[in-house]
Amino acid sequence: MDISILGGQMLGIIPLGDIVLYFTPFNLFMFAAALAFTTLIAISKTESQVEAEFGTLKNREVKVDKSEFKIRRFLAIVCGLATAGAMVTGDLFDFTLFVALIAIVNIGIVAAVKEVDVLDSAFQYGLIAMIATLPLFGGAAIILASAGTISLLQLLQIPNSTMILYGSLLLFIGVAGETGVAPFFATKAEMFRTPGSPFLLIIHLSSLLVIVRTIEILLILNKPF
Amino acid sequence: MNLMGNIILNVAIAFLVGSVLFGLQRKIMARIQMRPGPPIIQHLLHTFKFFIKESAFPKTAAMPFYIAITAMLCVIWVAAVIVGPVTEGSLLLFFAIYAIHKIVEHNAGSSSGSPYGKLSCVRAVYSAAAEVPLFAVLIIIYLKTGTMIISNIVTFQSQHGALLLSIPLAALMFFVLILSKSPYSPFAITKGKDIVSGYETEHFGLLRGYLMFSESIAWYMLLWIFLTVFIGGLNPVGYLIGMVIITAFVALINAVTPILNPNHSVMTQVTLAFIGIAGSIITLLY
Repeated sequence: MDISILGGQMLGIIPLGDIVLYFTPFNLFMFAAALAFTTLIAISKTESQVEAEFGTLKNREVKVDKSEFKIRRFLAIVCGLATAGAMVTGDLFDFTLFVALIAIVNIGIVAAVKEVDVLDSAFQYGLIAMIATLPLFGGAAIILASAGTISLLQLLQIPNSTMILYGSLLLFIGVAGETGVAPFFATKAEMFRTPGSPFLLIIHLSSLLVIVRTIEILLILNKPF
Repeated sequence: MNLMGNIILNVAIAFLVGSVLFGLQRKIMARIQMRPGPPIIQHLLHTFKFFIKESAFPKTAAMPFYIAITAMLCVIWVAAVIVGPVTEGSLLLFFAIYAIHKIVEHNAGSSSGSPYGKLSCVRAVYSAAAEVPLFAVLIIIYLKTGTMIISNIVTFQSQHGALLLSIPLAALMFFVLILSKSPYSPFAITKGKDIVSGYETEHFGLLRGYLMFSESIAWYMLLWIFLTVFIGGLNPVGYLIGMVIITAFVALINAVTPILNPNHSVMTQVTLAFIGIAGSIITLLY
């Protein structure tokens, strides 16, 4: 199978020992998008939420305080860099590590908010993310055990097998849990109600970009042709 | 024509055609509802008007994020034109562009600090859970044609016939996605009138101009992708006729249906996505 039928023509590779980063227009676009948003987050202030108070004529303003802002911004930048890394890595284990890191910092971004409902949802998301590490790394381990490599460029040349399909399914469940997408979504949506728009962006961005990249990886692992 | 000229020409076409199609949609909706409706070029005029109107920025906004997010929307849809009509690149890349569109929609709402924008932002997160699976029907196209590259898909159709006939459920899913991105659609929960203009509520003047410019290109691109991957490479007149027909059909649906509440909208889309994916896989297997 040729990788160019998925993300377009291979533009280049960066071999770092066993870990090879590769660039197609698809990977490069998502890498650039992740870095662009991370830069934007690093230089942005947060918004203030202004709502009418019930029963009075006053407004209620909710702001992000300075200490909370600093830690959330730091975690958001780490999340953005991990997302960018996950977009271009050509190593399956490296990808799973990036995804696990994204989940950890996403929990941190939300857990820094001192609101009971938000902390509750962060706790539930944390539980799902923790449980999802088992299928995530288990899936990658099964693929390594059955194919003998976790290099995606090598896996491209390896024929399909039942164990690789099984590993892929576990990997997909793991990614879904770590990124908190449907059907684990109910816990995560509540987190978006809190102030701190730039930090919430990276939670959403990382989830969607990782899911899109996972589709590419699953199509590399399970070649229909 | 050189590449830069080709890009500029295609972006201009996408913007102008997308804007006029939006106007056409409103006109058809109005006539169905027995109203005269605005002129067909109204959306285009509105866009130009916003570019020259005074811009105002809410004191509560997350700066410079609030401004940059509108430019981001422009950049990604210009990138979509490059991936689509200009280079006929990868559908997977178009999928990534759409995913980023959902993120921008989400954060354009939340960055202003307005409660209307915030509600739209939360709805954008919900709707992403429904629209992204709908977009995943592009994988069905891959399973059918063996490629994600648009030019190769066009070649496949010239040899084997239109995909619309061989994987109709996938085409239906993509149509539902197109429907959900049209104004006043039953799935347009992010811009429901109960939250004023949704994520656009607090974007004024130039910033609104950028948003409207991007939306026109997005509409054109969704229609272009549908026609290209399900019918095949058409000539410019064929594309125009196809886009007008789809827009008219969308207008008919929008004119006679209310906007669903967020839960119903998401569950309907998810159900349709499930039926489409499962049905298409069964069709491919037999």
